[in-house]
Amino acid sequence: MRRARPLSLLLAVLTTSFSFQILASDPPAPVITNINVSGSTRALRFAPYPAASNYTILSGTNASLPLTPNPNFFLAPFIISASTNGTNYGYEWRVTNSTSPNGLYSVRVTPVSSNTLFAANVLNRLTYGPTPDEIERINMIGPDAYVAEQLAPWNITEDVAGTHANFATIENKFVEATNFVWRTNAAIADLRAWHVLRAIGAKRQFLEILLQFLENHFVTQWSKTSGSYFDTYYDDGTYQDAVAAQFEYLENEKWLNALLNPSCTFYDLLKISAESPAMIIYLDTVSSKGNGSNIANENYAREIMELFCMGVDNGYDQNDITVQSRIWTGWTVDKVDLSNVFNPFASATTNIIPGSTNTSTTTKSNLYGAWSFVYKPSVHNTSTKTIFTNKFVPSRFGPPWTTKTYFTNAVPGKYQIVIPGHTTSDTNGIFEGYQFITNIANYPFTEEYISIKLCKLLISDNFPNPSNDPSNANYNVYNYAGGNLSPEASLVYGCMQTWETNSPKGQIWKVLKTITDSDLFRSHGASQQKVKTPLEYAVSTVRALRSSTNGSNVAGSFTGYSDGYNISGSSSGSACVMTRTGNMLLFDRDAPDGYPETAPYWVSAGSISERLRFLQSFCIAIGQAGHTSTTNDAGSNTGCDIVGLLKAKTPASSWTNAAAVADYFLSIIYPGEGAGNLSLYRSAAVNFLNTDDNSASSPFNLLTVSSTPGQPYDNRVRGMVGSLMTMQRFQEQ
Amino acid sequence: MTRRGFLDRSFKIGLGVALSTLVDIPLVVKRALAEGNIGLNGKKLLFIWLRGANDSLNSLIPIQDSAYNTDINPATGTVIRPNIAIDKDGAADYSASGIACDFPQSSSASADPNYATFWYQNGIRTGNGFAALHPSLKFLAPVYNAGDLALIHRVAYPRQSRSHFDSQNYWENGNPNNNTVQDGIFYRTMIQSGLAGTNPLTGVSVQSALPLILRGSAAAMTNLSDPTRYNLLGIPNNTGGNNKADKALLDAGFYPFASKQNRELLSLQYKNMSDTLAIFSAIDFSELGNTFVDDANTDGDSVAYNLFPTTSAKNGGYAAHGNDANKYVVDTNAYSFFTNLKAAALVLNKTSAIVAGTETTGFDTHNNQGKLTGTHPNLQRRIAWALYALRKYFTKYSDKCNWNNLVVVTLSEFGRTSKQNTSLGTDHAEAGVMFVAGGAVKGFSNPNKITGNPSGIFNCAGSVDPSVNPIGWTTGLNGSMFAIQSNYLRRTTDYRSMLGKLIRDHLGATQNQLNWIIPGYASEGTSKDEHLRVAGTSGVDSTQVTGELNII
Repeated sequence: MRRARPLSLLLAVLTTSFSFQILASDPPAPVITNINVSGSTRALRFAPYPAASNYTILSGTNASLPLTPNPNFFLAPFIISASTNGTNYGYEWRVTNSTSPNGLYSVRVTPVSSNTLFAANVLNRLTYGPTPDEIERINMIGPDAYVAEQLAPWNITEDVAGTHANFATIENKFVEATNFVWRTNAAIADLRAWHVLRAIGAKRQFLEILLQFLENHFVTQWSKTSGSYFDTYYDDGTYQDAVAAQFEYLENEKWLNALLNPSCTFYDLLKISAESPAMIIYLDTVSSKGNGSNIANENYAREIMELFCMGVDNGYDQNDITVQSRIWTGWTVDKVDLSNVFNPFASATTNIIPGSTNTSTTTKSNLYGAWSFVYKPSVHNTSTKTIFTNKFVPSRFGPPWTTKTYFTNAVPGKYQIVIPGHTTSDTNGIFEGYQFITNIANYPFTEEYISIKLCKLLISDNFPNPSNDPSNANYNVYNYAGGNLSPEASLVYGCMQTWETNSPKGQIWKVLKTITDSDLFRSHGASQQKVKTPLEYAVSTVRALRSSTNGSNVAGSFTGYSDGYNISGSSSGSACVMTRTGNMLLFDRDAPDGYPETAPYWVSAGSISERLRFLQSFCIAIGQAGHTSTTNDAGSNTGCDIVGLLKAKTPASSWTNAAAVADYFLSIIYPGEGAGNLSLYRSAAVNFLNTDDNSASSPFNLLTVSSTPGQPYDNRVRGMVGSLMTMQRFQEQ
Repeated sequence: MTRRGFLDRSFKIGLGVALSTLVDIPLVVKRALAEGNIGLNGKKLLFIWLRGANDSLNSLIPIQDSAYNTDINPATGTVIRPNIAIDKDGAADYSASGIACDFPQSSSASADPNYATFWYQNGIRTGNGFAALHPSLKFLAPVYNAGDLALIHRVAYPRQSRSHFDSQNYWENGNPNNNTVQDGIFYRTMIQSGLAGTNPLTGVSVQSALPLILRGSAAAMTNLSDPTRYNLLGIPNNTGGNNKADKALLDAGFYPFASKQNRELLSLQYKNMSDTLAIFSAIDFSELGNTFVDDANTDGDSVAYNLFPTTSAKNGGYAAHGNDANKYVVDTNAYSFFTNLKAAALVLNKTSAIVAGTETTGFDTHNNQGKLTGTHPNLQRRIAWALYALRKYFTKYSDKCNWNNLVVVTLSEFGRTSKQNTSLGTDHAEAGVMFVAGGAVKGFSNPNKITGNPSGIFNCAGSVDPSVNPIGWTTGLNGSMFAIQSNYLRRTTDYRSMLGKLIRDHLGATQNQLNWIIPGYASEGTSKDEHLRVAGTSGVDSTQVTGELNII
């Protein structure tokens, strides 16, 4: 652990000196860019330093003597411009009692400790946002231990099911019903609420983040299954909803079980997706035929390379898509006997639901069984498939990828795949699909693209897509053979090496550890660089004020809570914060590229106003205007007890001390920002506490402490916290 | 990039940038203030994204091309679109040219065979002797016949990507095959106007997220997902509390911050929100205020239809005929699209915004796309009704924007395969159709409006015509529809030529400004001349292209 080091820079004429080695992730010290003199006023301007715990202005008049701290400097606004649209302000450090005709100034910055910065990164990236309790815990055990915990979820005892009554209700629906019809009673709204509840309260936070990552990477669309596909067979919207939700649930459950194995590989996760009925339907493999003169549907073949494995145009072309699409012909779904759900060669069930008057053994709605992945040889294309014909790994990858052999090729670097044809189509044809994904799962393009995606998830948006075209600006970014890599590209390269050099290849937890071990993750590179997605925003809002006041971690003990449905929708079409802030429908993305991980898509005036409304409503006590059953952006079962939290965490003597109250909430809402950079927020918070609802002076220390909704003290504290959280910083991750 | 380069870029420049957020007008804009008329000549533009890639061959149908519905494909032994090709009307002479577009009007009498809005089941004769419209596009006919509609076929860009996401990006960032450009064509247009720093509302979208075509780092364009909810609460949620909260938020927008990757973006958009809340609260976006109706009885019916069908009751003649779905003008899933379209229209009509837009999705019809009913036809109905309604709205209800000053343009990332696939749909291909409408658009020349163009159909005619069909359409199974890899319709016009012409000759950019907005224009005269302005052979892929067309 590095100790905090002050940085000093002398103004203009004097030389710069640093007393320590600059690391790739340490920003340079701030430079004083302006100094204005007017009468006895001196004003200095410099850009803030990230995670600054404290700024001290040093001044003096004699160059041969050391400069001394000048406590008379304060941050003050100045007008940059004024127009009919309003006035624009800047801030500068000002002293108004300077008497000397000349002066020397420097600014000393004390950064927050590297552990504090690291801890804030960990909570922002490996969890859905800090909670007061988790901040205390990470400060106690240290961020390294916390990371190690989250990277080994198999060692964590999960107790999230006790945090809300809805767990029992929803999980009771995820069972195979008896009574002749294999169905689940869970609707998509139940699945979504469950997903949100786990994001809010799980101990295995990083596992939840990875499950959402996989859901958003191997995209499937619930509504296409429940609507377009099942409309052919059923007339029962509720049943269709439930079976389609069941497909999504099963994907989630399989990925969960895979991830709980320490040597889980990317191939394991890819295979689950390929076999998922939701995926087979979503990308139209379900109706793709390749026998006779039928032309296979190219949708899955394209996206498995473009979006799920290799990255757009990264090592394949249109011809590879066309040929590869034939591999998947025959992969489809059907309703099979319950005993056959794991047998892709099973024929369709012909068991009629007892009591049915319909004697048809082919009308699906008349039969009982389970919809599953099945393989139908009759529509399979039996031709030889030569994919990546004569293609070689581009030189930019360098060894070992350019020097090793692939598939059965003898020539190093040649990654062509030849899948021999058959004379007849039989169940052996199913293996073509597995053969293909077994190989591409560990091709350099896949190692690269998936590593980039994971880095984007955990570090920042600054990981562009790779290119194999030397005239493309991104070519040199990932030119591993060329050397001279940026810290980001170096990290991607490191991930690829972890992927490649361990056995089996592609062990996800090892790759993730390469990222969490990196300088970028542990320091400024990952600090506050991203913007929250709607899911992350809503969940982090609840978590930020959520403590189990009696330490029990069970329902009813939390100062911040939600029923899940209020956030993700009470039914499949209902409006909620997730639909309003960018239409993030869980399990129901219409385009296979997934909801964007980078910021520009989510940040616009309209989506910001909706985020702020949700947050404001959440901070308002339930039952008060803005959070009633009719005007309830946050929902009637989603709310917080801010004063309850304050009382649980701070001594009674400080409850009417505006500065102490402001400090407490700043420490839990913005743990990585640094007190030096939060001074204006702090004064704004103190000012908020000391003014009434009409902005007239109303000393906070004269209010009677109360957590009763509507009481002045309760309103005042809620208002201050809401005010801090509506500011731009809370959008960041 | 070197380590030093990374440091330099991230932090040193960050200093300047952090301060620049406090400045009203970005440096780059100041030099542009002296040039061009964008935003100063009263002209506006409304874009509608058709996401998913519209099957253009079933929209603007080359019905006189024997390959479309007559020639037998030897590989399959059938015509190329056995299930989805639109049939000819035996009673219509599609070879007649120089005439107006047919409009298969309906009847208000329920017993009549032509009672249903979409009773007509054949290709609608456009009157240029070659092309027909999908019957679900019938409401384009009045717009076409007024000379206000240009349909440009065979539009794409060189080295066409068949990836939705990439191709949509290229259509929006104006730089085909370049994913590193992170800002959009209309964003750059607004920057060139010089107004983006001073007017909070220049480019506006009404959809779930701000599209790339309006994104950029130096100024914020505005996106609203629901204009009826565009306001903030306060804690407590009363007048005093709201004001207190608003002020605290506004003040915090000026606090200095250490540079981070997305802080500039957040600052710009937060400020844009603060600046635009009051503007939007003055406009009635509500459903109650949706009283805009046609200026005459619609489609042979006894009533004037609502222009923006946002509910079933306002969808065509449904309510007037006792809730009869036969009288719908659009499908019932279109209501949110028309809610957003109405909002975009209101924005242009009631504010100083210059460009507005929205999107509709679902065009990726790989599967069961439908012939006369179904997914693709339903989407066509939306397009046609949208253009019909916008023309009436901006004529009858015009306030700050009049139909003669407005151009409506559709965007779609590519066209689809000429042959249908085994799932009764079509797959990704190359060239498609752009729909361009507006009072100043040079469509079909008629006594009420001399445009100089013999038809409003561009690039889809039987004979070569320098104004509307400079590069001929060759028919048959070896013709234009199979000119790329024996499979796809080849482009003859670049989408950038169409948008470029509109940005310059309608919105008022100078050619200099346009070269910056759409960099392909700057290649003119060089060895890689893309011929976006003047016809020629593309320097990128050696395809013969038309350059700009006489659409405005």
